Amino acid sequence: MLFDSEKPSLGREYADGEVILREGEISDCMYVILEGRVEVVVDDGGLQPFHLAVLGKDDFFGEMSLFSDLPRVATVRSLGGVRVMSVDKRGLLRWLGDDPSLSMRIMLKMVDRIRLLISEVVCLRKKLREHGIV
Amino acid sequence: MELTSGARVAVIGGGPAGALSAYFLVDLARQTGIELQVDLFEPREFTLTGPAGCNMCGGVISESLMQKMAAEGIILPKELLLDAIDSYVLHTDSGAEAIRPIHDEMRIASIFRGAGPLGAESQHPLPWSSFDHYLLGMATGVGVRHIPRRVRRLDRDPEGRPRVHLQAARGEESADPELPFGVYDLLIGCVGLNGSGVRLFEELGFGYRPPKTDRAWVAELYMGAEEVHRRLGHAMHIFLLNVPGMKFAALTPKGHYATFIILGEGVNEEVARRVCHSPRIRELFPEGWETPVRPCHCQPRINIGPPHRPFADRVVLVGDCATSRLYKDGIGAAYRMAKVCAYTAVTRGISAEAFRQGYWPACEEMDQDNALGHLLFSMDGLLRHFAPFRRAMMAVIRAEQVRPADPRRLSSALWDTFTGSASYRLIFRRALHPVVLFRLLVATLRELLPGRRSH
Repeated sequence: MLFDSEKPSLGREYADGEVILREGEISDCMYVILEGRVEVVVDDGGLQPFHLAVLGKDDFFGEMSLFSDLPRVATVRSLGGVRVMSVDKRGLLRWLGDDPSLSMRIMLKMVDRIRLLISEVVCLRKKLREHGIV
Repeated sequence: MELTSGARVAVIGGGPAGALSAYFLVDLARQTGIELQVDLFEPREFTLTGPAGCNMCGGVISESLMQKMAAEGIILPKELLLDAIDSYVLHTDSGAEAIRPIHDEMRIASIFRGAGPLGAESQHPLPWSSFDHYLLGMATGVGVRHIPRRVRRLDRDPEGRPRVHLQAARGEESADPELPFGVYDLLIGCVGLNGSGVRLFEELGFGYRPPKTDRAWVAELYMGAEEVHRRLGHAMHIFLLNVPGMKFAALTPKGHYATFIILGEGVNEEVARRVCHSPRIRELFPEGWETPVRPCHCQPRINIGPPHRPFADRVVLVGDCATSRLYKDGIGAAYRMAKVCAYTAVTRGISAEAFRQGYWPACEEMDQDNALGHLLFSMDGLLRHFAPFRRAMMAVIRAEQVRPADPRRLSSALWDTFTGSASYRLIFRRALHPVVLFRLLVATLRELLPGRRSH
């Protein structure tokens, strides 16, 4: 056990390196991290998967598939052991309809991620320009 | 009539409905640039064991509430958890069947509302924490002021704003037993059904009448952690038995304790004694174990019918004293209604009309769903006496549990009934699915055929 085995624990535990969701899969839930960390990676066809982000306690992932039926865009795996709770798509969509402030929280989190992505794109473009590629 | 920065709000009662109403109100107001001054009046000390610190409840956090809180970013700390529940075992006079969720995950928690049963204080320090104390901490963490005093009277000032008068404390006695405390822009009543708080709001004279109530019987039975897990596992045990006066009973593992809840019409000590002596229940108790003569127990009032007009200008009631879910997920109902109330107050205003348009529809929706719940339990009460149907139901559940690809409609309907994961409307839709009805019909006919009883 990675965490205190004497105490009851909620959610599901994943050992270090274990895959929680896999790129390309169709799924109907998102996950909230109760304890530990996860690594988000994308397989770009190279030998090593492309590292995208590390998420920790209170963060959620897999939310994009709730709003579309498209496959998962990244693989998420446990980093040193993690405990997560899944949130079902059907329930969540019902609660979002009842509870605008919950929608707001999820949207704010997604906005934060878009901001981060934009700043990373800008940074990459600058580097490409410096190297005369763009 | 709207909340603006500097507006004062009084929340009477610090159980889940009160603490969450205060928390969500401050949080939502802040998101719209409004800073409120919120006072929460709760004299009870949740860090005490026994009735002094307990808000009388079975203490189970439903699967849907757990997921909702996780999505909201509210992660319950481990010290609150007494146990994590992974399955339900349904016991009837015709046998027992385990109902497991399709997912392989612990999403239901058992907790103590206060610091635990009377006598638990001998374990020092206590290995768990109070759920209500944690929620109160969430509220004070966002700036809510906790006033640990009892409210004696409510009235309105000449401009119609609610006024709070406190009960004079020892050393403050004078000719007047009450102490004027303050005038507020909004008064939120989260007084439950088990104290004198309901009367305070009835006396305000705006037409509020509390919901119809019944009694539950809740006891904390000490068996020791080893016995609790050997006997109950991580499962909540539900009993649908032919015991007069009982609708259903539940035994929930909680560390060294098992919480025993009996629901029915007019449950009293005599019904509780009959239920405790039922063979189906006794077989889960350790051999030779006798129910303590005086376990830490209570007979709380529970909400079984809609309230009348739980709002007025600048006043609204939330939680058990207004609308809750029938026989299940009371904490989840308080969470939902606290949020709707806060959202209404921040976005629509605090007039009676604002609450009628924003808050009351959510109450009505839950009350209408509860009416379906009443129907469901009435049907169960009728069918309980028809043993072949009961055996057929158990046979269908058994068959669903062993088929990996089966959608497990009946098991899901029962799972949702007892976990509080879904509305009674959805449960009805699942239970009345043609496939379920067909399977039940076939299984019942099989039971009626001579010599074809399932085991």
